[in-house]
Amino acid sequence: MSVSPRRLLAGASALATLAVLSVSACSAGGSGGNANGTAKTLTVNTSFVLKTLDPGRVYEATGLTAVHALYDTLLTFKGSDVSKPVPALAESYQASPDAKTFTFKLRQGVTFADGSPLTADDVVFSLNRLKNIKASPAVTVSGLTVTKTDDSTVVVASATPDPNIPVVLSMPSTAVLNSKAAKEHGARDGADAAQGDTAQQYLDTNSLGSGPYVLKSYDPSSQVVLEANPKYWGTKPQFSRVVLRNMDVQTQKLTMQRAEAAEISLDISGKLLDGLSGSLQTSGVQDTVYFLFLNADPGVSAVTSNPKFNQALRAAIDYQGIAALYGKGAAPGAGLVAPAFPGALPAGEESKRDVAKAKALLAEAGLSNPTVKFTYPAITYKGVDLGTVATKVQGDAAEAGIKLELNPQPLTTFLDEMRGGKSPLGFTPQSLNYPVADSLINNMAPGQATALRSGWSVERADPAIVAAGKKVTATLDLAGRATAMQEWQRLMNASSPYLVLASNSSIVVATTDLTGADYTAAGWQVDVAAVGRK
Amino acid sequence: MTTLADPKAERALGRRRWLGRLRGGATSRPVWRQPITVVALTILGGWLLLALLADVLAPFDPLAQSPDAYAPPSGTHWFGTDSLGRDILSRVVHGARLSIPLALAIVSLALLVGGLLGLVAGYVGRFVDEALMRLTDLVFAFPQIILAMAVTAAFGPNTRNAVLALVIVSWPVYARVIRSAVLSMRGDDYLNAARLLGVGPIRALRRDVLPNSIGPAIVLATLELGNAVLLLAALSFLGLGPRPPAAEWGSMVALGAQDLSMWWVSVFPGLAILTVVMAFNVLGDALRDRLDPRYSKGR
Repeated sequence: MSVSPRRLLAGASALATLAVLSVSACSAGGSGGNANGTAKTLTVNTSFVLKTLDPGRVYEATGLTAVHALYDTLLTFKGSDVSKPVPALAESYQASPDAKTFTFKLRQGVTFADGSPLTADDVVFSLNRLKNIKASPAVTVSGLTVTKTDDSTVVVASATPDPNIPVVLSMPSTAVLNSKAAKEHGARDGADAAQGDTAQQYLDTNSLGSGPYVLKSYDPSSQVVLEANPKYWGTKPQFSRVVLRNMDVQTQKLTMQRAEAAEISLDISGKLLDGLSGSLQTSGVQDTVYFLFLNADPGVSAVTSNPKFNQALRAAIDYQGIAALYGKGAAPGAGLVAPAFPGALPAGEESKRDVAKAKALLAEAGLSNPTVKFTYPAITYKGVDLGTVATKVQGDAAEAGIKLELNPQPLTTFLDEMRGGKSPLGFTPQSLNYPVADSLINNMAPGQATALRSGWSVERADPAIVAAGKKVTATLDLAGRATAMQEWQRLMNASSPYLVLASNSSIVVATTDLTGADYTAAGWQVDVAAVGRK
Repeated sequence: MTTLADPKAERALGRRRWLGRLRGGATSRPVWRQPITVVALTILGGWLLLALLADVLAPFDPLAQSPDAYAPPSGTHWFGTDSLGRDILSRVVHGARLSIPLALAIVSLALLVGGLLGLVAGYVGRFVDEALMRLTDLVFAFPQIILAMAVTAAFGPNTRNAVLALVIVSWPVYARVIRSAVLSMRGDDYLNAARLLGVGPIRALRRDVLPNSIGPAIVLATLELGNAVLLLAALSFLGLGPRPPAAEWGSMVALGAQDLSMWWVSVFPGLAILTVVMAFNVLGDALRDRLDPRYSKGR
């Protein structure tokens, strides 16, 4: 029988009551725990994206935050600066001029949380395990060979020149495990480790690292508790206990409004920041770009593959207005590289609106009232409803005489359509897996995998763009690479199928008594060990 | 929901009797003069009027964006504006143009499909009846909204598919009701007499069976109108209804639910859904009270 409206209503009110009760219970717990000021606990509220705490397999945001606090890597990033890796387990490193060989000198006197010393064997084991268990993060190290020359020297060699290896070796997945203990619990690093390694279950509930914290408890649905590692080799963290709590974003906002001390929230961003109490501090770096992609294949769409239409759409969009939709911490689109990373286009090069130019270009192209199907995922990303942005784009385009038919799709359907390469016009956010923008060239330059999904083959592209892309990968010093990257983006903005709308950031919201609660684009969102009290 | 499965009750709802009951007996007022029904009818009339005259009555274009985003209710924007600066009053008024006609379409299509199948099942009987009733059981086995979601997700979210999905999940109720009404009159003398006179099955269904069994289904349809509005809004809330930027109440509530501190974005379309659904339910209840003897006892 059908559900009677009366029963629906009763169910809805019961749910609402429950929701209100749970919200008040959570926030009471939150402020109660930290109100007295003597507590040594830091509470981090986040909507859990957490599958594992095994460094070789960790790929999700919450897992990265925890693993970064539990383990050390050869190099790392401090605060929110992701331009240059700084020493961690390696006190120094040397790169060969061809950017193929990197020699790391390990720090002396580092011990794991169980007291055993950390040696080059542990580093080699951990990196080989990461590579060979072939889980999601393995792609970053797939071309690397790791060997030790003595107990405190490790050599990482790459088959192709890659000046970004130091950045890769700063990522939480390259964390160094206590190899002896790990082997006892089923960890393997051989070529057959993908089948042989059985350590994940143990590593989900126990940490085997040398980091500032050790894992106290793990419940992927509610909370993860970290406790200070008494044998930590570096500066001891100020908070002896860190609790990562799973909390939806609306509840985070309510909780932070009542929080008095030692509390951080990771997911309040975009428009949700409006109306947040002024007594909280925020930190963010624009590390995500949002772009449209037009299909360059005339077989898919005669309209979007027309270069004049491409130009007209670029001129039709109100970039400032779109950035405003993203709320605090967003900016109008410039290039494909987000402002947080080296190689981003400088301020002042944002795209600008010119409706008259758009109309003129459409007239030149002989297109009157072109209609295009506009596909996008019906999701909220970093606090922004993509449907709202798409509707704004539709409104802007309409003013220039372009009719966009909105076609929201569930995320999986959208991804399938995108891979199929049959969408005339699409919209997607893009965040980088690690803070190096060069991967954009490997994906989005003409003829590359992502570009081909928009029908953008080398033949259909401006030869100057192809050459500029090759110049980036051929440049081995990082500063030169960043400049080449900017040149590439300027050319991309002139005629590529990608139209960057805006960039925004995740935001760390923290109570004002805290220091070091900085958002980082390095992947772990916030370095909980660096958070202290004023 | 009531299926009116009691054969005695069914028989009492003969063609002339159910119309007579609406007018009321010698002692009670006609159903359309009871105060609560009057209120419901006024609300529905008001919404119909808004839907018909939306272009004249709405102060702004429901799709026009303005830089004035998230403006709270004021003299210019009575219901405030949403994230794109669109006037919520205008969108709520234009939303009536979608919700009410679509609910009517869903219910009439479901009544048509369910009614036809119910007539056939009841009149033909035997294995046709068995097969059709097991099919209704199959549909009933799923929670209504989940099945509707699955259907729209499979066909792709748009207005036509949302309506189709809701017809698919709601026809069995009508099939059951009509079938039981038909069953209750199957052996009746006038049907036998008609058959002896050489009246074919199709003509008998049309002339005798249908008019005598449609009454309870009409009442049910009125009750279900509210449900249809609600289900359509629910699908739309989940992003499976009419395509954006269409002004649809469910999707407007969804937009507002992203940040409840801007309460006006979701409250006004929510109130629109509430009033329409309540009015349809009150009206349906009043009709049922009158037409179903089990409910009118003791009044």
